[in-house]
Amino acid sequence: MSFWSRVQRASVERLHIRLESLLVLVALSAVMAVLSPYFLSLSNFLNILLATSTIGVLAIAATFVIGSGGLDLSLGSVMGLSGVAGAFVAVNLSWWSPLAVLACILAGGIAGYINGQLVTRAFVPAFIVTLGMLGLARGLALVISQGRAIYGLPPEIVYIGQGRPFGVPMPVILLVLTAVVAHCLLAYTRFGRHTLALGDSEGAARAAGIRVEHHRRIIYTLSGALAGLAGLLFTARVNAGDPTAGINYELTAITAAIIGGTNLFGGRASILGTMIGALIMGVLQNGLTLLAVQSYYQQMAIGAVLILAVFIDQYQVRKESRV
Amino acid sequence: MTSFIPKINRFTLAFSVAMALCAANSARADDAEYGVLMKTLANPFWGAMSQGVEAGAKGAGVKIFEQAAESDQAAEPQLNLCNTMLERKPAAMITAAINSTNLLPCLKVAQEAGVKIVDLDNNLDQAVLDKEGIKVTFHIGSDNNAAGAQGAEYLVSKLGKDAKGPVLVIEGLSGNITGEKRAKGFADKLKELAPGLEIVASLPGDWDRGKAASIATDTLTAHPDLVAIFCANDGMALGAVESVYAAGKGPQVTIIGVDGNSDAVKSIKEGRLNASVAQLPYLVGKQAVENVKKALAGEKVEDSIAVPTLVLTKEVIDAGKEPMLEYVK
Repeated sequence: MSFWSRVQRASVERLHIRLESLLVLVALSAVMAVLSPYFLSLSNFLNILLATSTIGVLAIAATFVIGSGGLDLSLGSVMGLSGVAGAFVAVNLSWWSPLAVLACILAGGIAGYINGQLVTRAFVPAFIVTLGMLGLARGLALVISQGRAIYGLPPEIVYIGQGRPFGVPMPVILLVLTAVVAHCLLAYTRFGRHTLALGDSEGAARAAGIRVEHHRRIIYTLSGALAGLAGLLFTARVNAGDPTAGINYELTAITAAIIGGTNLFGGRASILGTMIGALIMGVLQNGLTLLAVQSYYQQMAIGAVLILAVFIDQYQVRKESRV
Repeated sequence: MTSFIPKINRFTLAFSVAMALCAANSARADDAEYGVLMKTLANPFWGAMSQGVEAGAKGAGVKIFEQAAESDQAAEPQLNLCNTMLERKPAAMITAAINSTNLLPCLKVAQEAGVKIVDLDNNLDQAVLDKEGIKVTFHIGSDNNAAGAQGAEYLVSKLGKDAKGPVLVIEGLSGNITGEKRAKGFADKLKELAPGLEIVASLPGDWDRGKAASIATDTLTAHPDLVAIFCANDGMALGAVESVYAAGKGPQVTIIGVDGNSDAVKSIKEGRLNASVAQLPYLVGKQAVENVKKALAGEKVEDSIAVPTLVLTKEVIDAGKEPMLEYVK
């Protein structure tokens, strides 16, 4: 075994990431720092993290679902619905703010639970179930809000999106906390091992005594609840429950997970990898914006990085299996 | 290892080259510049606005730094763009917010940093701004209410004050303030000028050409004697035109849109669409930059600048005498 693959194996075992994605992030940051004098500053670094926060939380949800061999296309819509639900509770009903926070998470969790029930009991493929939920949740968000943003949340909730304890934006703190908890859950618990076992081979997981359907339902519920948290962050950040929030975010979230090394067909996933994937996209977008590159090219760049990342990943996997 | 390291290097190198190419045509600004944040350039209206901004900047001799969100629903991505643009420390931020709230956190930071804020196309709500303690240097855009009213004036001038018959209004996206103002401006003025023309339906077309076409078809079934359709934008008007011609009622129904976009001009020239109330976004963009320069120089600038609108008809376009025609892009 060569030195490099030993380093890689150690890193995969301890941190559950692939070094390639980390190298790409570092190289990309270095390139941006050289090209733009505005890139390397603490405030810009926080900007990148802040811009990554909602997508990051959604990407964590996508990592669990995809890692278990599933798919959740409703993430962005559920996020929009959750934010509207929270804003409705806080603004239209003027209920106590913590209840609004709860409403966001609960709305997401319920949508996720319904996804899970349909996938495991009705035998409708996850792609179809969550595609249907994409439309359902978005429609419901528009109904609740009557098509317009619900503006003017109480200051406690706005603080969740705009507050800066010790100069660090709250969404960034919440993203990091969520990522740490999710990482421990996926990497060090039986729940996490079962999740990946399920993604690797459902039949084997069943033979090993894992309650497959029950486990899937929990994962979809968790995914929805995380989308609810993302909805809370978004709503608090823009101080409005916006029914159009999160359109196409599910695709960005899935992209982050895949760039970070999650296997699209399940069985391999890492939260730290996903965070690196999300940051690669965040750095790319931020850097290209600073360089005044139009958003159309930014979308192209992200598409190209996705294909490159999977290419490198596959190349490595093949090389390892040859050895 | 030996085989792996060169591979990463090649990848990094290719990546750097790609990035450098992307950046090659972007100027690096060392002195103060104006940040211009648009909704999306995937719409001819914003494309014309952007041309106007560029022309204004060239004329005034100032540097601009322009970005646009990927779609007109990308509220959070636009906020992220705004934050990133502030890193370049612009002297002013000319912003066309996707909605009245999404940019507020960024505008607050901009204000604290002493950056002048301009509301392009009247997307910000003064009441909300007051509540948030944000002072905008000026709002600039077209008066949407007046644009609707001009549509009604044109219709009455064509059909006469005593005209009678059913009229259809196709509104924009439900809850969108721009579409609401245009539809209301039209309805109020029509009631005042020609009470015989009755609005039999006012339905949201969601800015969607296909949806407007369906609404026009359905309404023609219910009201075969329909005399006019007012649409809150040109895309919808062009959809309605096709339905009306398909139903064989082209000459009978007068159709009016709003925006004056290039497709509408083409259709008007061909004698299909009757009129479009042109918003002259080019002029809005141009005047925005010119007025920011004045404001930065300490000159007095009005709080709210209304850029005039122009009713485009086949006669106006063919005659080519209207001086504002040069701003129709």
